[in-house]
Amino acid sequence: MRKIFDWLDRKFGIKAPHKNFMKRPVPDNIGYSYCFGGIAFVYFLLLGFSGMLLTLYYVPSEKEAYKSILMITEEISFGWLIRGLHKWSATLFIVFILLHTVRVFVSKAYRPPRELNWMAGVVGLIFALGSGFTGYLLPWDQKAYWATEVGTSMLGTLPFFGGHIKNLLRGGADVGGSTLIRFYSIHVIYMPVFISLLLWGHFHMVKRRGIAKNL
Amino acid sequence: MDRRNFLVSFVKLFFAGLFAAVCSVVFYIFPSRERTQNIRYFYLMDEDSLPRKGVRKVDFEYNGEDRTMGSRVYISASDKELTAFSSVCTHLGCFINWDHNKKEFICPCHGGRYGIDGNVTAGPPPAPLARLPLEIKDGKVYIGMKI
Repeated sequence: MRKIFDWLDRKFGIKAPHKNFMKRPVPDNIGYSYCFGGIAFVYFLLLGFSGMLLTLYYVPSEKEAYKSILMITEEISFGWLIRGLHKWSATLFIVFILLHTVRVFVSKAYRPPRELNWMAGVVGLIFALGSGFTGYLLPWDQKAYWATEVGTSMLGTLPFFGGHIKNLLRGGADVGGSTLIRFYSIHVIYMPVFISLLLWGHFHMVKRRGIAKNL
Repeated sequence: MDRRNFLVSFVKLFFAGLFAAVCSVVFYIFPSRERTQNIRYFYLMDEDSLPRKGVRKVDFEYNGEDRTMGSRVYISASDKELTAFSSVCTHLGCFINWDHNKKEFICPCHGGRYGIDGNVTAGPPPAPLARLPLEIKDGKVYIGMKI
């Protein structure tokens, strides 16, 4: 195992730049509340993993979407588990991001020199909520349909550009098949890629700027 | 339990969980075998009493999993074929009736109408009436039900 890793590291060189990171000092009086961000990240990984599995069977079309969801939960072996994992990870992902935000706020870790990391985190939260909103439509049942109908209508009330934003999101005047495929694409490609890039920056800044001391 | 033992059992538990997860994923990614939903055949009527032409309502009983169930089908006969239609409206599951005068199946709940071929002619039903398989053997007619 070690040999394989060493061979990989000679080609890839991942060990040396992370040596200092692994040995960096951590403030004394930090507690479990500093784990919230990491827990949220674990849920992000779980979401990515279970989501990749769900795309094997989900069909983003008006006629097939609900049927394929039923098939996943009732016919595919352990489909209920994968879907349940995705659903609950999504909920807990948001919960732990919020807890993490509260912790950062309370320990005043948003202050310079870490202000950019706070901003990245806020954008990340918005993307996470966007992921949740687009994912909510995908089961294509009554709840999903009306949630999207209401949610996109709310955007439509924005002054000046509201109507255009609504049409852009829906891919038409009404919530329909084109909305479903749009939301699917946003949910499985755009959001995960954006969040991954943001998280890379987020962690990079944690490494460079260190963890704020609890005040 | 000291810390070392705790950690050892924790790591063991972790790998056991990981193994279970990998197993369930393997089961998940393999396509599930087609659910061969058993079609079982039940005695419906004698061949003599089949309609020559037109539609006939047939009430029959069959043995369900734990009790005897009653059901109703419509046998529709034309020159070419003999079809058994389920009496359940495809809209919201009410029982349809055959109207002799209008030559239509009419659902009393929301006014869904089906022609003698089972296709929707009016109203909200999204799909034609379900056809049930018939089998004629030794002068007796059997009807196939998915159970």
